[in-house]
Amino acid sequence: MLTSKDRTLISNSIQWTVIIAFALTIILPLLYAIMRLEAVTGMSSLDSVISFFTLTETKEALRFTLLESLFSVILTLIIGLPLAWQLGRYEWKHISIIRSLISIPFVMPAIVAAMGFLALIDQGGPLDKIGIDLRTESGIIGNISSVTGIENTGHFIALVIAHAWFNISLVVRMVEPTLSTMDPRWEEQIRLLPAGNSRLGRVKNLWLPFIGPAIACASALCFVFSFTSFALVKWLTPTKSTLESLMADSGGTAGIYNYRIDTSEIVLAVCLVQLIILVTALAITSRLQRKHSLRHAIVSESSARKSRGKASFFGKAVLIGGLIFTLLPLILVAISSFVVRTVKNGTISSDFTLDAWKNAWQGDNSTLSIPEALSNSLIYALITLIFSIIIGWIIASSINRLENSGNMKLAKIVDMISLAPLAISAVMIGLGILLGILRWNPAMFNWFLIPVIPHVLLTTPFVVRVMLPAIRSLDISFEEQAKMLGLSPTKVWIHSRLSFLLGPLAVSSSLTIAFSLGEFGATWILVRSGSWDTLSILVDQLMGQPKFNPLVYPMAMASATVLMALTFVLFLLAEKVRPDGEGSGF
Amino acid sequence: MNFKLFTLTSILLTASLSGCLDGKSSDNQNIECTTLSAGHDDDGKLRILTYDVLALNDSMIESFETATGIEIEFIKESDAGGILDQMMLTKEAQQADLMIGLDNSYLQTAIENCLLRETLFTQSPQYQNISSSSLEAYQGKLAIPFDQGTVCLNYDENFVDGENITIPTSLWNLTEPQWNGKTSFPSPLSSSPGRAFMLATIDYFESDADEQTDAFDWWEKMSENDATFTSGWSESYETHYTGGYGEYTVGHIGDSHLTVSYCHSPGVEAYYSSNYTHSTSLELPKTSFHQVEYTGIINGAANVAGAEQFIEYLLSNDVNSMMPENNLMYSVLVNSSLPETDGFRHHADIATTTAEIPLVRIEMEMEQWLANWKEATQ
Repeated sequence: MLTSKDRTLISNSIQWTVIIAFALTIILPLLYAIMRLEAVTGMSSLDSVISFFTLTETKEALRFTLLESLFSVILTLIIGLPLAWQLGRYEWKHISIIRSLISIPFVMPAIVAAMGFLALIDQGGPLDKIGIDLRTESGIIGNISSVTGIENTGHFIALVIAHAWFNISLVVRMVEPTLSTMDPRWEEQIRLLPAGNSRLGRVKNLWLPFIGPAIACASALCFVFSFTSFALVKWLTPTKSTLESLMADSGGTAGIYNYRIDTSEIVLAVCLVQLIILVTALAITSRLQRKHSLRHAIVSESSARKSRGKASFFGKAVLIGGLIFTLLPLILVAISSFVVRTVKNGTISSDFTLDAWKNAWQGDNSTLSIPEALSNSLIYALITLIFSIIIGWIIASSINRLENSGNMKLAKIVDMISLAPLAISAVMIGLGILLGILRWNPAMFNWFLIPVIPHVLLTTPFVVRVMLPAIRSLDISFEEQAKMLGLSPTKVWIHSRLSFLLGPLAVSSSLTIAFSLGEFGATWILVRSGSWDTLSILVDQLMGQPKFNPLVYPMAMASATVLMALTFVLFLLAEKVRPDGEGSGF
Repeated sequence: MNFKLFTLTSILLTASLSGCLDGKSSDNQNIECTTLSAGHDDDGKLRILTYDVLALNDSMIESFETATGIEIEFIKESDAGGILDQMMLTKEAQQADLMIGLDNSYLQTAIENCLLRETLFTQSPQYQNISSSSLEAYQGKLAIPFDQGTVCLNYDENFVDGENITIPTSLWNLTEPQWNGKTSFPSPLSSSPGRAFMLATIDYFESDADEQTDAFDWWEKMSENDATFTSGWSESYETHYTGGYGEYTVGHIGDSHLTVSYCHSPGVEAYYSSNYTHSTSLELPKTSFHQVEYTGIINGAANVAGAEQFIEYLLSNDVNSMMPENNLMYSVLVNSSLPETDGFRHHADIATTTAEIPLVRIEMEMEQWLANWKEATQ
C-alpha cells in the first residue's frame, strides 16, 4: 500500500520527467539545428546575428515583420475592444453562441483564413465592390500608395486586416471577462470622485488600470502571432517575406554541407534574431498575464450585466458588424468551392456546380483525396490532443505546486519552458527534428508519430496557459473534505480536481485540436520527408498548382471548406462540453 | 550543333569510356559513384520523391497499384529545386526510391553528387520509342526523360497590338519605356522555368553580335525598367500576367503583359477556355529553353524493382501519350503530339531556335550565374 508520501514522490518524479523530456524535445532539435548550421556556414551564432544586419533580405524581412505586427496589433485592438466592451457590459441573448462565433477565426487554420481573404479582396469580391481594391491597388488604395510611396499598400492592408480577423477573439476573450465581472458600483463611485468626473479621468483612473493588463497581454500575444505568421503572408503578400516565411523559403536547402550555404546563413541568422525578439515578447506576456489574472472575478457576470441592461442600437451595430467581419471570409470560402469558371468566346461566366467537390473527393488533380487527407488530419489532431492535454496538465500542476511551496523562481523557469515553443519558430522546430533524425536515426522517418511531435510542442503552451489559472484557483479544502470522507485516491482526484477542471479541459482540447488541424509551418517542412499529407497541406498543394484547369481553385476551396467545417464542429462540440457559467476566457 | 557543344560532347564521351570501373556505376562523365545500400527499410512500398507533377493523380496511381500490387507513398516538394535539395539533404539516408521531376537545369548536379543510380529501362524496347529530341541533353542510364516543353516568353496580344506596342524583335526592346513595369519573371533562384529562361538569356546574349554586354547587363536593365520578379511561376503567370487564366482567378493583380511560361501555354489556355486565348508566345531565336523533365532511381533506394516498374509505367504508351492532357506538357515518345481539341495544338507555338547550353556547363557555372542574377536584379 502506497503512503501519501510515496504518492507525492511518484507524482513529483513524473512531473519532473515530463518537464525535462518536454524541455529536451524543444532544446535538443534547436541546439542541433543551430550547431549544424554553424558547422555548415562556418559562422558562430554571434557572427551570424551580426551578419543579419548586413544582408538586404533579412533586414527587409525584419522591417516588414515588425511593421505588419505593429499595425496588426493596433487594428486588432481597434476592432476587438469595442466588441469586448459591448459583449462584456451588456445583456445579450445567446451570448455563448456569439462568443463561439467570434472565436472561430482564432481556431481557423491559417490556410483557410488565407483563402477566405483572397476571396474577400478579389477583383469583383465584396471589398472591391465597395470601392476598396486591395489587389490591383486602384482607387483609394492606389492614392494611398502614391501619396505614401509605399509599395504594395493594398496587400499590406489585406494582411493586417487578416491578422486582425485572426486575433480579434484574443482581445475579446481576454478583455471581456474582466469587463463582465467588474463591480458596477466601482464605476458609479468613481464618477463621484474628482479623479473620475471626466471621461478622460475615468479612462485614466479606472479603465486603464482595470483592463490595461488584459489589453496589454492580448496585444503581446497578437504581436507574437502576427510576427510568426506564415500561411497568410505566403498567400496575401507574395512579394514580401516575414522572418518566418523567409526561413521557410530557405529551410529546404539549409543544413546541407557544401550546398547553397547562403540559405543556411539566412536560416541561422533569422532564427536567432527571431528567438531574441519573441523571447522578449513572451516574457512580457507572461508578466502581464500574472498581473491580469490577479484582477479577476470581482462580482458575478450575470448580476453585473443585469445592472447595465441591454445594449444600445450602436452596441448592436458594433456586434453585428463584428460577426459579419468574422464570418464573411469563411462564407466566401464555402461559396467559392461551388463556383467554376467557363470561358466561351472570350466571355467568362460562372457556373454553380458540384464538380470541384466530386474531383476533390476522388483525388483527381492531386495525389490524395479529401477523405484521405481528412483522416490524416483527424488522426494527428487526436493524437496531439492526448499528448498535449496530459503534458500540459502535468506542467501546469507542477508550476502550481512549485508556487504553493514557495519555489517561485523554479515555478517561473518551468513557466518559461512551457512557453518556449511559441518563441521558437515552427519552421526551426521542424528543421531541427528533421536534421536530428537524419543524423541519428533515419529509420524514424517512417514512424507515423513524427509529425505529431511539432504539433504537441506547439499546442502544449496553450494547454498550460488555460489550465494554470484554473489549477491555481482550485480550492484545497475540497480535496481535504474528499479525503476525510474516506474516498479512494482516484475518487479524491476526480471529485476535487477533475470535476472542477472540465471547463478548462474542454477549452484547451478545442484549442489543441484546432491548432493541430491548422498547423502548417512545422508540418510544411516535415512533410517533405514523409507521406503525411493533411488537409491544410492538400489545400496548399492544390493552390500551388497551375490553374489552367478551372476546377483546381474550387477544389482547393472545397478542401478548405472541409477543414473549416471540421474545425468548426470540433470547436462547437468542445464549447458545448464547457459547463455553463465558466465565463468567456480562453 | 555549335563548336563549343561539339567539343564538350567529345570530352564527355571520351571521359565516359574511362569511367566504368568494377562495382561502380558511372555515367556520362568520369564521375565515380558507389551504389549505396538502402537508406530506409524496404517494406514493399514504393516511395516517390516529386513535386506537384499533375500527371501523378489518384486514379493514375491507383491503376499502377492495382496492376502491380505495389503501394505508393509520395514525398512532395514544392518544385524541381526542392527535389534536388531533398536528395542532397538526405544523401546519407535517402528516404525515397524514385525521383520524378528534376529537369535538365538541375540534373547534372544530381549526377555529380551521385544521387542517382542506373536504371535498366535503357534496355527496355520502350526506351527506343523515346524521341531523340528528349534524349538530346542526356542519354545516360541515370535518368529517363518523361515529359518536355520549351520555356519561352508569353505576351498578351491585347496589349501588344502591333500598332501602339509592337512585337519585340530583340530582348533589349523590353528595356524600353513602353515596357516599364509591364513584365514579370519568376526568379531563377527558386523557380525552374525561371532558371530555364535565365539560361536562355545567357545563350542569347553570348550569341548576339554585341560583345560588350552580357545577360546580366540585360537583367539589370530589366530591373531598372521595373520588371517584377516573383519567387515562382504561379505568381508571375497567375498573379501578374494579363494574358493568362490568372485574370479569372482570385488574387489577380494583372500589371504585366509579358512573362515566362511554356511556348505551348497558349494552347493549354485555349484547351480550357473553349478554343479562346489572347496569350501567345514570343518567337525570338534563342530566347527559349528546351526543358526536359526526368525520372530516375535514387542512389540509396530500397525498392529498386518497384522503381523500375514505375518508370516502365510512366513511359508506357498509355500513360506517357496522355502527358498533354494530364500534365500539360509534351510526351517524350516518338510520334506523339498535342491534342487538336479546343485549339490545344493550334495555339501551342513551337520555338524555332532554342538556347543551347550543355548540362556540364550548367552545373559548373550555375552558382555564379545565380549570384550574378541576384546582384543584377537587386
